[in-house]
Amino acid sequence: MNAVGFAWRSLVRQPARAILGVLGVAAVGALLLDMLLLSQGLIVSMRDLLDRSGWDVRVSVREIPGRGGRVPAASETAARIAALPSVKATLIVRIANARIEREGGPPIAATFEGVSGQSNRGAPITAPWTVLRGRDARGADEVVIDEAIAKTANLDVGGTVTLRASCVSDLEALPPTHLQVTGIAEFPFAGTNEEGVGGSLDALEAACGGNVGDEADLLLATSTSDSRETAAAIRAVVPGLFAMTNDEVVGRLQQTGFTYFRQISTVLTTVTVSFAVLLISVLLTVSVNQRLGEVAALRALGFSRSRVVKDVLSESALIVGLGGLISLPLGLVLASGLDRILKGMPGIPAELHFFVFEGTALAIHVGLLAATAIIAALYPMRIVSSLPIAATLRDEVIG
Amino acid sequence: MSDVIVDARTVGRSFAMPAGPVHAVRDVTLQVRAGDHIAVRGPSGCGKSTLLHMLGCVEAPSSGTLLFDGQDVSRLSDARRSALRLRRIGFIFQRFFLLPMLTAAENVELPLSEAGASRRDRQQRTKSLLEYVGLAARADHRPSQLSGGEMQRVAIARALANNPQLLLADEPTGELDEATGAQIAALLDRVNADGTALVIVTHDSTLADRATRVLMMRDGRIEPEATR
Repeated sequence: MNAVGFAWRSLVRQPARAILGVLGVAAVGALLLDMLLLSQGLIVSMRDLLDRSGWDVRVSVREIPGRGGRVPAASETAARIAALPSVKATLIVRIANARIEREGGPPIAATFEGVSGQSNRGAPITAPWTVLRGRDARGADEVVIDEAIAKTANLDVGGTVTLRASCVSDLEALPPTHLQVTGIAEFPFAGTNEEGVGGSLDALEAACGGNVGDEADLLLATSTSDSRETAAAIRAVVPGLFAMTNDEVVGRLQQTGFTYFRQISTVLTTVTVSFAVLLISVLLTVSVNQRLGEVAALRALGFSRSRVVKDVLSESALIVGLGGLISLPLGLVLASGLDRILKGMPGIPAELHFFVFEGTALAIHVGLLAATAIIAALYPMRIVSSLPIAATLRDEVIG
Repeated sequence: MSDVIVDARTVGRSFAMPAGPVHAVRDVTLQVRAGDHIAVRGPSGCGKSTLLHMLGCVEAPSSGTLLFDGQDVSRLSDARRSALRLRRIGFIFQRFFLLPMLTAAENVELPLSEAGASRRDRQQRTKSLLEYVGLAARADHRPSQLSGGEMQRVAIARALANNPQLLLADEPTGELDEATGAQIAALLDRVNADGTALVIVTHDSTLADRATRVLMMRDGRIEPEATR
């Protein structure tokens, strides 16, 4: 019987202890997995979200796009950017607050994104939304709306939406504008409770009564090759603005807002791993102390020191391994629930996830649990390896 | 080739205690030869078990020289001593020390497995050993399903697993009633008759009387005048 088989029998011998250990590791392992997913989840999710948008350089007045301030002379700036040989296309994005009228209820607050694109060499222009049904809005009297608005205002493709947009100040009292709904779309950067309307810059201007001005909240660009070189070229032609690649945006977020999640997850990971080490170490130590006589007898019969050490290590590995296996589905279910709760925070894009499953996180999870199994077994391994055989046998008989 | 298995030359064993060293065994000179049947008797605490543990290479002497098959035990590493015990020495304990989660057959198989015997060899040897001790029908029983005498029989089979030259027994009938003790004594006689040297530490005079040599110990020494 090898060390693993022997360890398995030892576990089965004391099922309550084994179950306690396995469940403890499962709970700790699930938390550990979640902390690991959390530590990188936002970064991975944000990078994915940015990459999926189809634009690889973002130009704004702030380091992190979307944090206030507008790009002045947007048309001219966009044109200068579009003229760069490494730029395939540009998009002016202007955002306004809108109130959508509906019958028999209060108006729906929404964010109206107006865009205007310029393409070089026939490159496609991707709007910052994804049309789910119908088609994209093209004319000055067309918009796409999200599912929530469609449902609340009882609208669908082909219907007419009545909205009032405020482009300069929320105090504006503009007349309502009637726009045709050409499609139902998904706005990946919209918050969970944020409704979205999208259309051309002309449509937004019409809704704002011509008060848009030549300003943009954000300019987007796609590169012909390396986005870093394109961003550098953009910075050279528009020196007062920040031109960031998707990686740079993610990197900046990592250094600022997202760092809290990493710190929290690092602290909680340390706590959970320490707890697992203590739990397994205590269980194994108690177990080993209960069978010192047997261990001494095995040693007297010729079992080597390394063999009895392997038995203990295998027992630890089995408890942690079984618990670790259970922790994976448990951790994923827990992550899904926690993700839903965290996404409920205001201003969080609906498509952004706090917990994202990644191979690296799984590898670290397995590595940390393996380390837990080894570290937890160190003390009980020391007990059996340094066990005085004769004295223990004598004590067992006297005891 | 010499038939001396263990050659103890003025061996002693002392333990450091807060109140000063305790000399458990003092200047014992003893040879155990192939086929010997030795009983060690004496009052509690006289050093019988310590001597047995030294003869079994569990403990190295603090003084003197102990040779097992010509090898100085004090100079052997722990791993070498373990290997020696595994293949050349069998142990029987007063409290049997069978592993409760294993069946009788699995308990017997353990030393064979540790010695690297193939699965087939292990199974064959285990079967024949359980037949030898009269417990073939109880092979699949756990220790908790066996009587004290049966457990000691399984322990004897386990001790014989790797066909040792020397079998050491520490109070093998200490936990058994008289009749069961007599059965175990008979089994040990048979083991000895089949060629395994036997050293038994016992308080049981019936068991000691079956030995060809009886050593009396007092205060860590063998009393020559009481020894036969």
